[in-house]
Amino acid sequence: MAKPIPKVGSRRSGRSSARKSARRIPKGVIHVQASFNNTIVTVTDVRGRVISWSSTGTCGFKGTRRGTPFAAQTAAGNAIRAVVDQGMQRAEVMIKGPGLGRDATLRAIRRSGILLSFVRDVTPMPHNGCRPPKKRRV
Amino acid sequence: MAFSLASLSKSLSFLLPPQPITPKPSNFAPPVPQWDPKSTSTSTSTSLSVSLTAADEIKGVTCPSLAYSNTLFFKSACYNVQVVVGENEPEEKLLGRFRRAVFRAGVIQECKRRRFFETTQEKKKRKAREASRRNRKRRPYTKVSAQAKEEGPKKKNDDEDDNWGLPEGDLPY
Repeated sequence: MAKPIPKVGSRRSGRSSARKSARRIPKGVIHVQASFNNTIVTVTDVRGRVISWSSTGTCGFKGTRRGTPFAAQTAAGNAIRAVVDQGMQRAEVMIKGPGLGRDATLRAIRRSGILLSFVRDVTPMPHNGCRPPKKRRV
Repeated sequence: MAFSLASLSKSLSFLLPPQPITPKPSNFAPPVPQWDPKSTSTSTSTSLSVSLTAADEIKGVTCPSLAYSNTLFFKSACYNVQVVVGENEPEEKLLGRFRRAVFRAGVIQECKRRRFFETTQEKKKRKAREASRRNRKRRPYTKVSAQAKEEGPKKKNDDEDDNWGLPEGDLPY
């Protein structure tokens, strides 16, 4: 029944969540997940903490048009525009998955003016792990 | 100890082209891509074994924590293909390099194969197809010559065995 002692830390944490983090990040990583139906572009810092993201769905495309390379291009452009304002100059690109968005996003990133250090493919490959779903009979 | 370090560093500088010894930026242009400056493709299991060169081994002796610094940097060790982008590289050239590296690693093929389950029969068929494609590409001449050789002697035998003459003996009537 004792009164809880207010911790100094709680006050600090409350303040930080209210404040918008406007940190300047000169170097970051652009993750591109390019599946057959969609492309998601996430910009993180070097440690992996997300700064901003964008996908073809958020850019206004719907249905089959989300899987097109043009949609991927716009998604990449959106994501990078939000980050260039924060002062990002160099970036690595990590591309995951098969899909038409692979090349289109790379093109868009190149055109946006960000310096690229690496372009990596990080598609996850099982060493014969889980059984995939059955074949489609279309 | 200091003497050996100095001699090691001298041999290092002889092996590697001039490189700044500042930790962060140089480790992003690691010693490995010097042997293959344009692209490296590795898999998770072989990344460590492939990437150790003589320079790395020396580094491993002198400063063990930096030995694997070029492959292990947080989670970035698990990549299939890596392409190091040069300065002012034209867009199409970079794309072409990336595409070719990915094709050589077989990433997209593998992805498509693993999308749906394939039965043992399908697996056998696929393997047979791939093997025939590989053999056809590598030996287009030897197969054709072998066939020609086989057909020659066969024909001769047939000609000799054939009975072209009339049967012997008088006619029955």
